[in-house]
Amino acid sequence: MKRFIVAFVAAYIFIFFWGWLLNGVLLKDIYAQTPNLWRSQSEMMSLFHWIIIGQALVVFAFVMIYTSGFAGGGVIAGIRLGILLEIAAIGMRMGIYAVQPFPGKLIVYGSVSGLVEMIIVGAMVGAIYKPAPARAP
Amino acid sequence: MNWKKFFIAFIAAFIFIFLYDWIFHGIVLKETYAALPPGLMRPAEEFTRHFFHWLVLGQLVFVFFFTMIFASFGRGGAGAGARYGILLALLGFGTNLIQFAVHPLTTRLLGFWGIGGLIELAIAGAIVGAIYKPSAHTAT
Repeated sequence: MKRFIVAFVAAYIFIFFWGWLLNGVLLKDIYAQTPNLWRSQSEMMSLFHWIIIGQALVVFAFVMIYTSGFAGGGVIAGIRLGILLEIAAIGMRMGIYAVQPFPGKLIVYGSVSGLVEMIIVGAMVGAIYKPAPARAP
Repeated sequence: MNWKKFFIAFIAAFIFIFLYDWIFHGIVLKETYAALPPGLMRPAEEFTRHFFHWLVLGQLVFVFFFTMIFASFGRGGAGAGARYGILLALLGFGTNLIQFAVHPLTTRLLGFWGIGGLIELAIAGAIVGAIYKPSAHTAT
């Protein structure tokens, strides 16, 4: 349980700062090209707690999935899970692209950065969450 | 990995997800989507003529890797699959909350996405789990 919480907190801190750097700084100009798709800055700030809760839920589910079936594999298993989950997420993003008028490059940037993000999250969770060694009979 | 069972599970889950999404998003939520601010969604004709293949391709990619992750667990059964689907739905709902904070979506739509996604992925997981079971002689 302690390892679970440490893995969750570490991955959450990383996701929070990664999201801020990527969406708040690097992709800022691309977002500005499609204002009709976004809330105003002040509106977003008033709903900021939903971003915090959403990110926490993503990280919690990731760690739960890892501990349900990938524990014991270490960093490599964590990275593998991160890659598989992100490719599944790219499928979801393609569906969103089909129904919402996002620029294609935003989908590509989001997918590439998502892949990097999930690889790092997987590595962190895999490095921190290791099952307790088996007890001697 | 048992590739034959994998592909049967993948195809069965894809058929379910395709039909569920069509009924849920295309029929049940039609009015809810129509109430969103103009310009947030593509016009129906543009979607049908030029972007529908992206939706199908995206569903194929999602279901393929959804099945692949479950098959990597090495655990079978509808119950295990449903639990896995629920965890994936939680992850998806986390991204829905973030979408809600940055896009002008309604709380009604967010609620429907949360409940609908949970039911959808729990059933999809149960389908995959029921079909993809490790062989009895390989189980340890």
